[in-house]
Amino acid sequence: MKRALAWLLWLWMAAVIAGAFLYAPLAKGFIGQSSRILFFHVPMAWVSFVAFIAAGIWSARFLFLGRRPEHDRAAAAAVELGLLFGVLATVTGALWARVMWGAYWNWDPRQTSIVVALLFYGAYLALRSSLEDRDQRARLSAAYAVLGLAVAPFLFFVMPRIMFSLHPQSVINAQGKVEMESRMVQVLLAGSAGATALFFWIHNLQCRLTALSDRKSALEE
Amino acid sequence: MDSAVSGGIGWVVAVNLIIWTGIFLYLLRLNGRIREMEKKS
Repeated sequence: MKRALAWLLWLWMAAVIAGAFLYAPLAKGFIGQSSRILFFHVPMAWVSFVAFIAAGIWSARFLFLGRRPEHDRAAAAAVELGLLFGVLATVTGALWARVMWGAYWNWDPRQTSIVVALLFYGAYLALRSSLEDRDQRARLSAAYAVLGLAVAPFLFFVMPRIMFSLHPQSVINAQGKVEMESRMVQVLLAGSAGATALFFWIHNLQCRLTALSDRKSALEE
Repeated sequence: MDSAVSGGIGWVVAVNLIIWTGIFLYLLRLNGRIREMEKKS
C-alpha cells in the first residue's frame, strides 16, 4: 500500500474511533455506554465474513483458473485473518453480552453460529497443516474453502435469522429497513469500510511474506 | 453527558487511538521491511 494511502487509513480509523465515542449517540435500550462496542464488534464480524468469502473466491480461482500458487496463498491468508477478526468479534460480543445479558456466553444463535464458523475455518487450517505435498494441500484446501462459500453466508446471515435470538437486530433488519439513528449508521459504515481496507492491507502483507518465504524454501531445496 | 462520564470517555478515546497508532506504525514498518526484502531477492 502506498504510504499516503496508509496514512489516510490511519486518519479514517482515528476519526471512526473519535466518532464512536464522541459523535454517535447511545442506542436506546442498552445499559450505560455498552452500545459503543457495536462500532468495533460489527466491523470485525463483517470483515471476518468478507475474509471467508474472499478465501472462497481465491480458492475457486485457484481450482478453475490455472492453479496459480499466489491464489492458494491469498486464500490461506484470508482464512487466517478471517479467524483473527472472527475471534475479535466473538470477544467483543461476549463483553457486550456480559453487560446486557449478565453472562459472557449464552449459546445464543449468533454466538453459536460464529463459533461453528470459526471451527469450520479452523478445520481448514488443520487440513492445510496435515498435508505435506504442496499441490495436494492447495487442491484440497481450495475445494474446502469453495464449500465455505455456501457455509459462511448460512452461518453469518441465515441461521441467526431463522432461530429466536436475544441479539439486537442487524443493521438492516428482517424487513430490509435500517432502524438506527443516522449518526450511528454513519460511524458504523465508516468503521466497516475502514476495517475492510485494513483487512486487505494486512492480507497483502501476509501474502507477500508467504511468497518470500516460499521463494526462500524453493532456493534451499 | 456529565463531566465524569465525558472525562472517562476521553481517556477511552485516547487509549484506543494509542493502540490503533501502535498497530498502524507496526504495519507500516512491516510494509517497509517486506519491500526491502523483495528488492534484495
